Amino acid sequence: MRDLLDDKPLKLRRERVAAPTSARPILLALVLCVLVALLLALGSQGWLDPVRAGLQRVLAPPAQWLTSMRDDVAGWFAGPWGDAALRERVAELERENSRLNEALIRHEQAHVENVFLRQQLAIQRERPWQLLGAEVAVRAPDAGRRVMLLSRGTRDGVQPGMAVIGQNPGGPAGLVGIVETVNSHTAEVLLLTDVGSQISGRVLHEGRATIGLVQGQWQRGSRLRLMQVERAMNLAVDAPVVTAGLTAVLELPFALAAVPANIPIGTIEYFETIEQYQQAELRPFVDTDQVRYVWVILSQDG
Amino acid sequence: MGDSQSRRLEERLAREGVRILALIALALIQATLLLTPLGFALPLLVVLVVSRILVGLATPFPDSELSYALRWAIYGGLTLDLLTASPLGVHALALLLAALLVILATRRLQLGGPLIPLLAVLLATLIYEISLALLTQPLPLEWFSYSRFVILPTTLLALILTLPIYITMRWVLGMRTDRD
Repeated sequence: MRDLLDDKPLKLRRERVAAPTSARPILLALVLCVLVALLLALGSQGWLDPVRAGLQRVLAPPAQWLTSMRDDVAGWFAGPWGDAALRERVAELERENSRLNEALIRHEQAHVENVFLRQQLAIQRERPWQLLGAEVAVRAPDAGRRVMLLSRGTRDGVQPGMAVIGQNPGGPAGLVGIVETVNSHTAEVLLLTDVGSQISGRVLHEGRATIGLVQGQWQRGSRLRLMQVERAMNLAVDAPVVTAGLTAVLELPFALAAVPANIPIGTIEYFETIEQYQQAELRPFVDTDQVRYVWVILSQDG
Repeated sequence: MGDSQSRRLEERLAREGVRILALIALALIQATLLLTPLGFALPLLVVLVVSRILVGLATPFPDSELSYALRWAIYGGLTLDLLTASPLGVHALALLLAALLVILATRRLQLGGPLIPLLAVLLATLIYEISLALLTQPLPLEWFSYSRFVILPTTLLALILTLPIYITMRWVLGMRTDRD
């Protein structure tokens, strides 16, 4: 926090004298604003992509290390501490864990990869998807935008518009978000819950299916909303919603064409009828704030 | 003469380099370690920049001190841009706008007590979040719900951070003054 680099020693005044600052800092701020706006304009043309990719490549490893460290600490605090029996159980498991650690330590990385690959294999057995595993390097640091940064990029075959899935313990693999931008070593994923995220969804209920639009609602206080469902369709609480994959089916040249159909999204929590349509609040299958490892769906033909 | 000038230039470049590294580290900490259960990070950089402005205003060299604060905003903001999916410059611009308005609002005020830092951070966080919303969110924006679920919690978190950071920064820089 201390600015070690200040050229002059600071002398803090106990009381401000009447003499205010000159207009120089304000002018400087305005000039910097203009320069940054220029940077934004250049960036929107794609001229800064190589620089951005290079810098992100440098920042991704420390960011990923810090994120995993933070997750480990959060996981430790989230453990069962209130109950004596659970504490005893945790202690027992920790003793067992320490015995196993000696054997595991040599193969720790291989073990982790094995776990993820097993999960990946299980998903691939059930679904015709070719998956690429990726660790979450950075989660959304802003309240206003729900994104995550993955440590995979174009060199691994990741392209914008690809679907990213994840899995919480005990739950099905579900949609996490869509790859928005990709550099050679990193990919930025717009999470499903972001208000800017929209994708076609299919509600499955009583042997029938109907199409709707799934939009993120995080910035509006909930998670997902399914909209524009025909009034004739009987919606039900807990009915599953999956991706419709309409863009892919119609072979339209849009980015979302890479999103296959039938990726689980969530279940209906509550629904209502508004004029000619129904809409529903959805509970996503995957908690995007909890996933540490995700898979990018590279293709559907596995 | 020439040697001393070039040494001075080298020193300044080295200091700027360390300043950039420090701000990169702080932005990394904000984006990774300071994530809250609410699903977003504590707005560390906003509070740091505002505190730097206020501490800078209470020195005999406010102009140069404020230029440091603006550079903090640039370096920290650009690093946040790299760590998110936002276009390069979005966070930097939001931080600069917040810093600019805080400078305009506080440059003629008596800086004593906790009220001014709290009000300054309140103003800065509002400007920062509104700027980010306008620059990154699809329009039209539902301002009521956005304010309720994004701006309000972020502002409260920023206000919680304000006094510890402001007082610590003022104390650290004051200690330095005494030593000097």
